[in-house]
Amino acid sequence: MGVLPALALWVALFALPLCFFFIVSFWSVRGLAMRPDLTLQNYWATLRDYGDVLVSTLLIGLITAFVTTAIAWFFAFAIRFRAGRFGNALLFITLIALFGGYLVKIYAWKSILGRDGIINAALLALGLIDEPLTVFIYNANSVVITLTYFLLPFAVLPIYGSMRAIPEDFVEAARDLGAGSIRAAADIVLPLSEKGLSVAFLMAFLVSVGDYVTPRYVGGGASMMGHFIETQFSFGFNWPMGSAMSFTLMAVSLVIYLLLRALFRRLVLP
Amino acid sequence: MQGWRLFIFLVITFLVTPLILVILFSFNSSALTSLPLTGFTFDWYRRLFANESFWPALTNSLIIGFTVAVLSVAVGTLAALALVRFKPKGADRLMALLSAPMMMPALIIGIALLVFFKRLLDVPLGLPTVILGHLVIIQPFVIAILHARLATFDWSLVESARDLGASPLRAFATITLPIIQPTIVGAALIALSISLDDFVITFLTIGAGNTLPTMVWGLVRTSLDPTINALATLLLVLSIGSTIVALSVSRYRG
Repeated sequence: MGVLPALALWVALFALPLCFFFIVSFWSVRGLAMRPDLTLQNYWATLRDYGDVLVSTLLIGLITAFVTTAIAWFFAFAIRFRAGRFGNALLFITLIALFGGYLVKIYAWKSILGRDGIINAALLALGLIDEPLTVFIYNANSVVITLTYFLLPFAVLPIYGSMRAIPEDFVEAARDLGAGSIRAAADIVLPLSEKGLSVAFLMAFLVSVGDYVTPRYVGGGASMMGHFIETQFSFGFNWPMGSAMSFTLMAVSLVIYLLLRALFRRLVLP
Repeated sequence: MQGWRLFIFLVITFLVTPLILVILFSFNSSALTSLPLTGFTFDWYRRLFANESFWPALTNSLIIGFTVAVLSVAVGTLAALALVRFKPKGADRLMALLSAPMMMPALIIGIALLVFFKRLLDVPLGLPTVILGHLVIIQPFVIAILHARLATFDWSLVESARDLGASPLRAFATITLPIIQPTIVGAALIALSISLDDFVITFLTIGAGNTLPTMVWGLVRTSLDPTINALATLLLVLSIGSTIVALSVSRYRG
């Protein structure tokens, strides 16, 4: 019974808006007005006009998700099995980094990587370069770095959560039976933390392919879908098109995620 | 072992350094946010407080944040109390369903809400629509925190109270509530911190008007002096401050 208010909120403000938003993707636009319709035109236009952006978005998202979950897995492993009594302090720092400053973090990376940024200032001061380098910002690298930075704490928590359930005896037993520490981590901890890894990867992947602030701010604009989706609402006034772009992006991303998860399970699970 | 220490050190440095730099530059006298540091000043804060859009933005942020905190904790506590009585598998599934908004890009949730409010419901955008938007994304965090606490709750205490004749409501008010109160306060502060920090959903559902994050966005596009750092630092202090208090009172660790 008590779940009902939460569920009602979820239905009224998440499921229902998304369903309506999905319906809108089949509508058409005449002049500046949306008209209820049943056309696949917006989906064709998405693939035709934004196919290349879609591919580069998915690539950036995949790289970000791989880098983020890899670092997060090792960091969670360190907190759980290697840090001893400092584990709690590390978890505390992770949680603090999680809840503070989405925009601030992006802004911070711009002032680190930018033309007048800290890296350039340091290199100039050391006499290693004569002119500021522009290779640090406004490209895919700066987007991946900034997104990884933002997503890392989010990825650590579910992985740590699934590692917390692994008894230390399991790892010790493997060691007693002659497994090296890498072997024990790969054969025992990795399969048992699969659930947390999947959640972390999915979250990192979906959030990064759907982000628009990071590419616009440190990516030099037009390289990711989020930027073009947002434009349909702020300037383009083509909501049905923006909707088709959003659902294409989400659907393709989910399919890729499911394929990767199946592959990962085949490789890692006994 | 040495390798692990280095790795932990590098990750922590990666997590903390950018935020420290933002704070450092908010007190640096140079108008450029770059090295070397030139001297200490409060000028950027003075300039921020003199900015006429700052105070309304702060007020809006606080109104939204506190309303969302109270509402999400009320709904979340009810949900968590019910979820612990479910079978573990059912509770897990329901949690996964309710957590779906955490997985979706905020942009898509925000746009869907915008279309929903404007086209389907035809309601004006403003603080109430922002509050509703925040509730959707914050509710899963609140439920997860309270659910984690209640999973280790000693229900025999409540049963004793019931055996001694207390009504369910009285048992809840005198036993359950006082015990989980630190967690409730913690969850409320986490909700406040996420709400204060949210940019994407706020930007899409507020219509006119500013909150602190949308003001950061505006400043980022119009000016490049460290007033942004002062505002960003303030935002960090508010959101990280409430997180630290939350983690201390609730002892929640993931």
